[in-house]
Amino acid sequence: MSAESPFRRALRQFFRHRLAVFGLVVVALFVLAAVFAPLLAPYDPLKTSWTLVRKAPSAAHWFGTDENGRDILARVIYGARASLMAGVVAVTLAGCIGIPLGLLAGLAGGWAETLISRVADAMLAVPFLILAIALAAFLGPALENAMLAIAITASPVFVRLSRGMALEAKSTDWAEAARALGNPPWRLALVHVLPNIIPPLMVQATLSIAEAIIAEASLSFLGLGQQPPNPSWGSMLNSAQRFLTQAPWMAIYPGVAIFLVVLAFNLVGDGLRDALDPRSQKR
Amino acid sequence: MSPLLELRDLRKLFPVRDALGRAQGAVRAVDGVSLSVAQGEVLAIVGESGCGKSTLGRLALRLIEPDAGEVRFGGEDLRGLSAAALRARRRDMQLIFQDPFASLDPRMTVEAAIAEPLRLHKVVPRGQEAARVAEWLERVGLRADHARRWPHEFSGGQRQRIAIARALASGPKLVIGDEPVSALDVSIQAQVVNLLQGLIRDLGLTFVLISHDLAVVRHIADRVAVMYLGRIVELGPASQVFGAPKHPYTRALLAAVPGQGAKAPPLAGDVPSPMAPPTGCRFHTRCTFAEAGCREHDPALRGGSHAAACHVFEQLPPAPLARETETGGDRLRRLQAFFSADKPGAAA
Repeated sequence: MSAESPFRRALRQFFRHRLAVFGLVVVALFVLAAVFAPLLAPYDPLKTSWTLVRKAPSAAHWFGTDENGRDILARVIYGARASLMAGVVAVTLAGCIGIPLGLLAGLAGGWAETLISRVADAMLAVPFLILAIALAAFLGPALENAMLAIAITASPVFVRLSRGMALEAKSTDWAEAARALGNPPWRLALVHVLPNIIPPLMVQATLSIAEAIIAEASLSFLGLGQQPPNPSWGSMLNSAQRFLTQAPWMAIYPGVAIFLVVLAFNLVGDGLRDALDPRSQKR
Repeated sequence: MSPLLELRDLRKLFPVRDALGRAQGAVRAVDGVSLSVAQGEVLAIVGESGCGKSTLGRLALRLIEPDAGEVRFGGEDLRGLSAAALRARRRDMQLIFQDPFASLDPRMTVEAAIAEPLRLHKVVPRGQEAARVAEWLERVGLRADHARRWPHEFSGGQRQRIAIARALASGPKLVIGDEPVSALDVSIQAQVVNLLQGLIRDLGLTFVLISHDLAVVRHIADRVAVMYLGRIVELGPASQVFGAPKHPYTRALLAAVPGQGAKAPPLAGDVPSPMAPPTGCRFHTRCTFAEAGCREHDPALRGGSHAAACHVFEQLPPAPLARETETGGDRLRRLQAFFSADKPGAAA
């Protein structure tokens, strides 16, 4: 019997899941594209040209050019930076806000739980995008503000999830054993409960990244995210809508990019969930 | 000598609510229990499930708050301590859980689990933790190289050994074992009971054994407290409680042990609801010796060092069990032979 940590066992389980591995590969490709954008992009994504306005895809410009003669492939590659940044940063921030509050609510109970849970419920009652748009409009149009708005909007999901799991963990024997050993409340929360609830939080984070990428694209589409001339898939779609019939490639490529990344994150999330679900361990 | 643990008139109610959250009454889990445990003594608390014995164990460690009464540990009232002072005191009082599959944190290696009490109470400097963990693993019959493994890699018996090492690592004076072997296979039970007995002897532990397994209790307890519906109904030296039980409930309980061959009056009916305990003596609804007065007057524990809470115990016919245990008790002898034949080090 080899010493295999629960984490490695889950990893092994994950790699049996073909679609999830496909999702992971797609995500990895987009991450590489974003990181190495300056090396991969064939042109400067901001360089305009009056002679190349709305050219169809060709050998020189694989994805065609936009209304200002900018190369769409280059803009899609650079746009991955805005989308992935928005997804990862916003969700990391949302977790940093939501998980501690959820742990506090679940473990401390009392008025802290009531206050935190009611605020989270109230935020969840408002549709995700509407709340994100309202916050982004309030903070002012900029990619950073859009990320912050998305982070705040995505945090109540983490509050609710971590609160529920902390409540469950609190009633286990090992949590009582931890108290009987003399663990202070903060140590019970961070050393015992948190590691036990990480797996479902990871699944939620992956699915939330997909949601955050859509939110970022939507905000940019509305002019509340990435500001021109910097490329973002959402703002590219916005400028493409006026030329849908004449230059459909302007919409197709950023649209496909959003579709692929969101699908890939969802596949990874589903795969993680299956891998971490104790009921599927036997397979 | 002053007792290490002293409980005075301890009470705990658990409110019961209906679906709308309205109070429907309360379960009297522990209803006025006084008990003292001397230094170095092994006291067993026995009773049917639901009689409040596990609650009593947790109250004694102040893992749950009593509604009324006092818990004195080493002469100090635990209820008066601040949260931080109580945590520091946990070094001296520990709990062993029933289910070793639930009591170990699944995300902690064996080493981290056993090192935790060492670190929390600064028992040894950090550099010596690993060595101390290895010592404990060998002491409970595991190998030092098990330290880096995860709980899910072990069998129930091995996990309970890990839990025992974790409970003893900080060097507690008092250990409460809440059914420490009843979740284990019978063959493993014997090994773990032997291990516990050896540790109690070698470390001079004061041990409170909460159990419904009378064979195990008889094997290791010095004194026995019998609980029924949140109360202690009989308390005395193990040899006397087993040899000459006073309370009709204790007689029935001993008669129910398979293989005893005793023909004591069988227990009729179920345990009454702890939400609405009977008036007078709580046992009168099931007692074959009950008299009219038993329905009205609540008996107190009386009878000195071997006490019973019964109005009529002096008038009862001698317990048939006394004779039976002299000649009978075959199961016990077989078990004891088994206990001594199996060395704890030979764990699977």
